[in-house]
Amino acid sequence: MVRLIPCGLLVAVSALAMASMFGQDFGDHSSQTLTAKAWQSHERGDLADTLAFTAKCRELYAAEAAKQQQSLTDFLPADKGHDPWALNHVGTCCFIEGQALERASRKADAVAAYRRLVDDYGYAQCWDTRGWFWQPAKAAQDRLDELEFDAAVAE
Amino acid sequence: MNHLGRQSSAAGPVGGWLLIVALLFQVGSALALEVRVTGDRESGFQLMRDGKPFQIMGVGGTVSLDTLAACGGNAIRTWDAASAERIEHGKSLLDTAHEHGIAVVVGLWLGHERHGFDYGDPAQLAKQRREMEAAVTRLAGHPAILAWGLGNEMEGPGGPGDSPAIWREVESLACRIKELDPDHPVMPIVANVNPAKLAAIQEHAPSIDILGVNAYADAARIGAKLRAAKWEKPYCITEFGVAGPWESPHTDWNAPLEPSSRTKAGQTYVAWQRIMEDRTHCLGSFAFLWGSKQEATASWFGILLPSGEKTPRADALTRAWTGHWPADRAPVLEEVDVPFVGRHVKPGKQFEVLVRYRDPEAAPLHYRWEVREESSDRREGGDAERPPGEVPGAVVAAGSAGHAIVTAPQRPGGYRLFVTVLDGNGSGSTDNWPFYVDTQH
Repeated sequence: MVRLIPCGLLVAVSALAMASMFGQDFGDHSSQTLTAKAWQSHERGDLADTLAFTAKCRELYAAEAAKQQQSLTDFLPADKGHDPWALNHVGTCCFIEGQALERASRKADAVAAYRRLVDDYGYAQCWDTRGWFWQPAKAAQDRLDELEFDAAVAE
Repeated sequence: MNHLGRQSSAAGPVGGWLLIVALLFQVGSALALEVRVTGDRESGFQLMRDGKPFQIMGVGGTVSLDTLAACGGNAIRTWDAASAERIEHGKSLLDTAHEHGIAVVVGLWLGHERHGFDYGDPAQLAKQRREMEAAVTRLAGHPAILAWGLGNEMEGPGGPGDSPAIWREVESLACRIKELDPDHPVMPIVANVNPAKLAAIQEHAPSIDILGVNAYADAARIGAKLRAAKWEKPYCITEFGVAGPWESPHTDWNAPLEPSSRTKAGQTYVAWQRIMEDRTHCLGSFAFLWGSKQEATASWFGILLPSGEKTPRADALTRAWTGHWPADRAPVLEEVDVPFVGRHVKPGKQFEVLVRYRDPEAAPLHYRWEVREESSDRREGGDAERPPGEVPGAVVAAGSAGHAIVTAPQRPGGYRLFVTVLDGNGSGSTDNWPFYVDTQH
């Protein structure tokens, strides 16, 4: 039975269990706060914290993010880029999760995170403080293609 | 008809000489392969060479053209005309390229303001124009020529790049090139794009045929940026490859972390894929650099090792261009255990390091280790940098299977441990890891 549980779910469950054990500070529980904390955790190389924050963001906001994704047919222009806030934050969290898992050499789990982002949150955008939006799903697709190429290298 | 051809109707002794020169030139021109851009913004563009579609699968660089042809490449670009004319083994680069079926975008160097060139100085402009006219006149008839690469990042690698003086001069030069050689397109080459730069080019240099864009991390987004700016002409990615040092994470002593040889191969492959997704408007691309150079490190951009071996990036390009791997592939990095990567260490501290590479053809591998000082001669826009010195005695012992014993140098400062791995069959890989010697550690 255990084998039937998707990898991503195991990651989420284990992250939540760790979060509960170590008592992460989710702040105001907003998607913005959770995403910011996920970035910070990833930057200091803390996989458990990173996964805890990304999982919490998805737990609380995935439904809204899915609705916002459904309402779009393309990326919104910059002046409206922040409007689908849940989509942007959940999508960004999927990307952070993929990066953190790659860094931990958990390639299969990273692929699952990137795949979820590409399939479910394709119109997410993330604001770069240098002054523009970037598209996490495009970056995730690059990572998927690089990982696929790397698998061919390894053959 | 070219400019000299029109002069050939002149009478008298001078006219006679001109006739001879013109006839010689006409003979050369008869050899030239006509290159045209067809199509439009709505339906897409196509580069036609000698009447056939030509997608540029190119590199920047002038060496090892036999290897390039074997890898499936079909074009190179130079940064100046002298490189295209340089004689090696009794032949010019253009002749060698033509023998290997490789087309050449001949660079026509234009001055950079950061090097002291003044686009407001008529004397400097006149000299630059004379040199350009002479180069185009000498080379236009050669059958290897694909296009004229007008300048390289002459608008400056930073800033908006929208100087009217520069773009008006580009327009003037583009028109003059077309008079001298109507058979090849003119492609100014810029450092990335932005709305102000594109607007300035569209306003002041409407006669150009193709826009060449050098772009690294941003290469896949150039098509979207051009569409957003309502750019009307085709483009070509004239430099692409791995994320540059300026785009990469740094250590706490400001040393950029170079991606591994294996990662760079993947980045190169995916960058090429992304660029070519816009193949209706992008005429092709040139990977940087077919050769090697010191830029932050000795290995960051090189697709070849300094000793000429092809690296995993060359294999990635082969797979991109041809759909399959080359017969001999470069060693693949499998495992790294370098305990001091990105860390501060005490002077004289000794470390055991291990890297493991796999040769896809199972050839025995030869490992060469060296410790070099961190580069202290960092420059902008790809300007030539002085290679840092090797630290003698820092590699205490090196085994044949990727083991080495390294001693941290006595002098505080930034260093890198390099390993170069050769398969003896023309392929190799190189990787490096920065560390910092610190007496306070």
